Amino acid sequence: MTRFRQALILLTVSLLAACGGSDPHVPGSGSPVGAPTTPGSFTAVVSFGDSLSDVGTYAPATSLAGNGTAPYFGGKFTTNGAAGTVWVENVAASLGLLATPAEVGFAGSSVACPAAANPALAGTCTAYGQGGARITDPNGIGHATGALTVPVASQIANHLTRFGSFRDSDLVLIWGGNNDVFVKFEEFAAAAAQIQAEATAGLLTADQANNALYAAQTEAQAAMKQAALELAALVRTGVLDNGGKYVAVVNLPDSGDTPFGQSLPASARQVLSDLSAVFNLWLAEGLTGQPVGWIDARALFKSLLADPAGAGFGNATVPACDAEKIDALTGGQVTDGSSLFCNATVGAPYYGLRAGADPSTWLYADGVHPSTGGHAAIGNAFATQLAAFGWL
Amino acid sequence: MTSPVTIAATVAVLLTAGHAAAQSNVVKFGVAQYTTNSRTNGISGIGVPPGADVETGDATTLILEYERLLTPHLGIELAIGIPPRIEARATGSVAFLGDDVFSARSVSPVVGLTWHFGEPGDKWRPYAGLGVNYTKFTDIESRLASDVDMEDSVGWAVKAGVEYAIGPRWGLFASVTAMDVKSKIVASGATVLQSTIDFRPVVYALGAAYRF
Repeated sequence: MTRFRQALILLTVSLLAACGGSDPHVPGSGSPVGAPTTPGSFTAVVSFGDSLSDVGTYAPATSLAGNGTAPYFGGKFTTNGAAGTVWVENVAASLGLLATPAEVGFAGSSVACPAAANPALAGTCTAYGQGGARITDPNGIGHATGALTVPVASQIANHLTRFGSFRDSDLVLIWGGNNDVFVKFEEFAAAAAQIQAEATAGLLTADQANNALYAAQTEAQAAMKQAALELAALVRTGVLDNGGKYVAVVNLPDSGDTPFGQSLPASARQVLSDLSAVFNLWLAEGLTGQPVGWIDARALFKSLLADPAGAGFGNATVPACDAEKIDALTGGQVTDGSSLFCNATVGAPYYGLRAGADPSTWLYADGVHPSTGGHAAIGNAFATQLAAFGWL
Repeated sequence: MTSPVTIAATVAVLLTAGHAAAQSNVVKFGVAQYTTNSRTNGISGIGVPPGADVETGDATTLILEYERLLTPHLGIELAIGIPPRIEARATGSVAFLGDDVFSARSVSPVVGLTWHFGEPGDKWRPYAGLGVNYTKFTDIESRLASDVDMEDSVGWAVKAGVEYAIGPRWGLFASVTAMDVKSKIVASGATVLQSTIDFRPVVYALGAAYRF
């Protein structure tokens, strides 16, 4: 029986060995690792992204004279005005720094680093975010009608061209992907409308229509995966490999929670919400184990929206900007109420807010962009995160 | 990991275990219907509609069993089969996705002890067994996800069967085996889906037995 016992032991050992290490990998469940934990001595805020981080790229499009020259009545995707800063400027100001546009222009003509007209400010043009910009696709939202939409990939490349590398004294803030979400959502919505029309006309069975909708949604999600993994690769090879030390990556808030998202039918809104979540999942997967600070904007926005009043917002659903006023002000050229053309200076002839709107207590400027108060809250929340990393 | 090498080593040790007695080894060969009665905890993941689920199907395969009799009544047995391909179909709110949303081969050896009722030489001898089942899923395919991972499963197995002796060496057998096979599944494509499938398989087998 000794051999029998040996056999049982061997059997037990081999079965126990079989139990170990078989838990499947769940993409997106990991975390970044190894970012600095000590304060930086920052001399520049370098930000890459889209309209949420745009500090005035398209100001010439809002020229009061209508010819691209100053003064401008808009230029940022928020409630514009003397106090109308966006979060990048707010974070920079809290560090005693200035962040100015890396490029300013519209409709084919643009100037790189206009702040360099004052040589003392030549190093401040490190706010690369542009409204409409995508991760790698140069054809961003509004590109066909004149917006520069330099994608994040080129924004990073442009910074490297100018400065050669990132410095330990750069606070690098990366927040992109919203426009990839919106572009792919619009494509999905168009496909869905077509599918539903065909189903209504009896050209598709219910199962066929469901399968077609599933395929359209999967295609949009696959595009999110691609864009997010591309952004993660840009962070790794474009920023970290080129000396980026204090690098914070911000994930996407839930686009379904914006006034635009709220205006959609529930099923479409869910698809939109899922697209930003899918982007976040793959961005997290692509940055797992990387030395970056991860700012969970989705969670921060959800937390704010769970109790807007607690965060100082009396209105978190209605855009502060008045689409009709902006329509009239731009001679009918801007009909969607874009906050790029929205000014909050009371008494000014180009005042663009709705009656009763307060840019500091209404969260949204337009369907997707935060007001001045919204940007203040974002800046504070992100600065709190940066402080929690130990960077400030 | 249980490699074929460790299984082979185990079998080799079993083959030489104990003292040599007349006809203390039994080999069974037969055809088996691997049926599943799956339950899941639902499918979770971004973009998954509420009520999405899957259900696994059945498969037919060939099995081989080797038993070493330790006493006239008690044996230790290893059962293996040609890994059947188990297909899953979409159900619930995603039933429109249809059949074969994913499939996998289930490599599922069972080792256990078997108690034989009656006495050697009886024409009919019922038996019952209790063992451990180890299941590894291989050759996983899905038309919906580019990468599907399934967790290995270790669980109990219970068996009941009957042998009919044709002669001193040859006989026929029929058996029913129920097993505990549970696997966490992670399917990554455009998005990432997760589920835990409790397959609750019951294997019906029929075949020939040979003693030596």
